[in-house]
Amino acid sequence: MTARDAARLTLVVFGFVVVQETLMLDLRIGGVHPDIMVLLPIVAGIIGGPSRGATIGFGTGLVSDLFLPTPFGLSALVGCLVGFAVGLATVALDRTAWWLAPAVALAGSAVYELAYGALGSVLGQPQMLHVALARIVVVVAVTNAVLAWPAMRVMSWGMTQSSTEGMPTSDIGVGAAR
Amino acid sequence: MPRRSRRPRTTLLLLVLAAVTIITLDARGGLHVVTSGVRSVASDAFTPIRSGVNAVVEPIGSFLAGSVHYGAVREQNQKLQAEIDQLKMQQAGAAQQEQALKQLSALLNLPYLGNLQTVPAEVTDFGTSDFAATVDLDVGRADGVQLNMPVVGLGGLVGLVVEVSHHTATVRLITDGQSAVGTVYGPAPGSLAVLNGTGPGKPLSADLVPSNTPLTPGEVFTTSGLPGALFPPGIPVATVTSAHTGTTANQESVSLQPKADLAHLRYVSVVLWGPST
Repeated sequence: MTARDAARLTLVVFGFVVVQETLMLDLRIGGVHPDIMVLLPIVAGIIGGPSRGATIGFGTGLVSDLFLPTPFGLSALVGCLVGFAVGLATVALDRTAWWLAPAVALAGSAVYELAYGALGSVLGQPQMLHVALARIVVVVAVTNAVLAWPAMRVMSWGMTQSSTEGMPTSDIGVGAAR
Repeated sequence: MPRRSRRPRTTLLLLVLAAVTIITLDARGGLHVVTSGVRSVASDAFTPIRSGVNAVVEPIGSFLAGSVHYGAVREQNQKLQAEIDQLKMQQAGAAQQEQALKQLSALLNLPYLGNLQTVPAEVTDFGTSDFAATVDLDVGRADGVQLNMPVVGLGGLVGLVVEVSHHTATVRLITDGQSAVGTVYGPAPGSLAVLNGTGPGKPLSADLVPSNTPLTPGEVFTTSGLPGALFPPGIPVATVTSAHTGTTANQESVSLQPKADLAHLRYVSVVLWGPST
């Protein structure tokens, strides 16, 4: 990864944090606010494959953890697992298909939130399963499915110089925007 | 070929190990000072950005929130419309500001705090995570706020400061699943009980209440203030909403409602108090 790539990726993550910490925190649906930081490992997995999905999921998870009251490192753990799983699951699919990003964002976000609650509970935070988990899963999954295309476009710009395990990121980004 | 397929798994394994190490070190305290410091720096650095962006995008956020809550907004609108006629009859002026002033004045004279010093604060956010019951305040270390200081509202105890940066603080509400408050109830000197949070918006539950203890709805549990306790004595915490003992239970099952209106917090007071003071 070149310095230019790193700068672009940093800018993308920073943009997501700004949107999450301002617009998304003000927007509550059924008492739950959307979480677009969850989208980062998912779209990185689709665009970059399992290895890059896991790495970016870990990094963006650590950034998320800076702003959350939950255990530090938990978002990084779930992020790298989800990024890897998404990359692995989509590497054999047609990643330029228009439906792929929303569908994977829907499923990936649901898995992310369930894993977040379950792993948090296993790691000494049992109360994390005593929240409105079903509502959190639905709200986060649906909003992320809606936002998947713009997120793919932005992330493919952030990862544009990186080679992928499958095909050029530019093709996936353009495909997603069709 | 096998080497190529192993590489992503090796990467994942290393990242998982790194994440688990960070979580473990943070939980055991070894890394907590570092992570807490980094969180504090991030919060300090992000506060002006958040304020600036909020000033620009708040109208958009309000519009989105309004469109999502269209039904509730419409119903609320009708109620407000009905109130407008009444309000017109009243003295014109900044009623909202007057109410805020009343709340702040009341917070400065909470009878149960005695001579304890407090810092008034405004609630800026109702939690950044859906997995924890927290609120963010607009005061921080610069105002004298420190970790583990109690926070009270108009009705009673609100929670405990769990993160603090230069100008902001995060409070874990007493309804959070990780919250446990030592309390007393009943005739003086009172019996001890621990009130546990069961999740955002849910009632509190009580531990250590012996079976068949006569509790009536409305009975108030206050902080115990035992040596080493996280809260000073005498702060109202919650009132009993229901209590019953199962046939084979050795403890009474007690459900309690927080005294402070945690769902509509606007102003609170941070009590400048620690277990050692």
